[in-house]
Amino acid sequence: MDIRTPIPTNGGDWLTKFGETWKAQAEALRQKFGGAIEEIRMPPDYPTDVPIVYVRKEAVAEVLAHLKSDPAFEYGFLSDITATDEMTDPRFEVVYNLFSHVRFNRIRVKVRARDGEAVPTASSVWPAANWAEREVFDMFGIRFEGHPDLRRILMDERWVGHPLRKDYPLKGYQIFTDAEVIHPELLDKG
Amino acid sequence: MSKDGSLGYLTTRLQDAINWGRKNSLWPLPFGTSCCGIEMMATLASDYDMARFGAEAIRFSPRQADLLIVAGIINTKMAPILKTVYDQMSDPKFVISMGACASSGGIFNVYSVLQGIDTTIPVDVYVPGCPPAPEGLLNALLRLQDKVARGDTHSQRRMAEAAKGNIARL
Repeated sequence: MDIRTPIPTNGGDWLTKFGETWKAQAEALRQKFGGAIEEIRMPPDYPTDVPIVYVRKEAVAEVLAHLKSDPAFEYGFLSDITATDEMTDPRFEVVYNLFSHVRFNRIRVKVRARDGEAVPTASSVWPAANWAEREVFDMFGIRFEGHPDLRRILMDERWVGHPLRKDYPLKGYQIFTDAEVIHPELLDKG
Repeated sequence: MSKDGSLGYLTTRLQDAINWGRKNSLWPLPFGTSCCGIEMMATLASDYDMARFGAEAIRFSPRQADLLIVAGIINTKMAPILKTVYDQMSDPKFVISMGACASSGGIFNVYSVLQGIDTTIPVDVYVPGCPPAPEGLLNALLRLQDKVARGDTHSQRRMAEAAKGNIARL
């Protein structure tokens, strides 16, 4: 089977159902944001089930807000935010998976970021992005500019490093047997 | 008790009587985190009926339990919680490590999983299996009863050392 053959899913063939919608949406995005859209990878030409929109880092919050509320898009639901460590330059890709409860289709937004660079937060667009971005920060060490509470969410707060980075050792155990101090200000001084 | 008032013979016998009581009234705290927890529930339920061995009083507060059954995978982030639960139990306290994950990390040899709970707390009896059948856990309980009767568990040995003054306190 050719890898480019569209993948049938539980909801039927997404390409025949949403192909035209996606094409129109890609065109609308290019017209609206111009240079802020780096690249759009469409399903039949690229082995993916949904279009991937590469957005410049600075414009991502704006693009996401547009995708959420514009009547031509209406991707109101943020499925997940995750990231990949590509070990190239730029090193990371932050991935936003969006779903439309109006049209029942999906789209994927990606942002490339170098090591140490901060990505604008999406928590002003979706409050649910708060914890998802904390997880990305915890696992990859990607900082989100403007995030209200960027702390580790999965690993211990004393953890050193970010385990889903490709250069983190698989067996890099860090075992803490004392409980975390949740409110250090309440401890006895001295 | 001897005529001169020394307690030598009586205390050993008394200790045996206390240990007999302890071994037949273990109060388990079920620390079930995965599929081993399901097998543990089956062991506690009527088909296998752990109550036959005097261990039916399940307590979810470490203050009221003396047998910690760690059934399932313990992540590194769970380690401080497990340690706290163990510390909160009053002596004498016993630990059964149930299943491959609790005993050695099992198939999860990665940064996020504790490689055996004995890196964090002392374990008296290990149960192999993934997950162990209820018979395995029952067997572990019987082996633990033997150890308790002998006074051979970690906690009892620690108490004996403390009573002799060899270690400062429990």
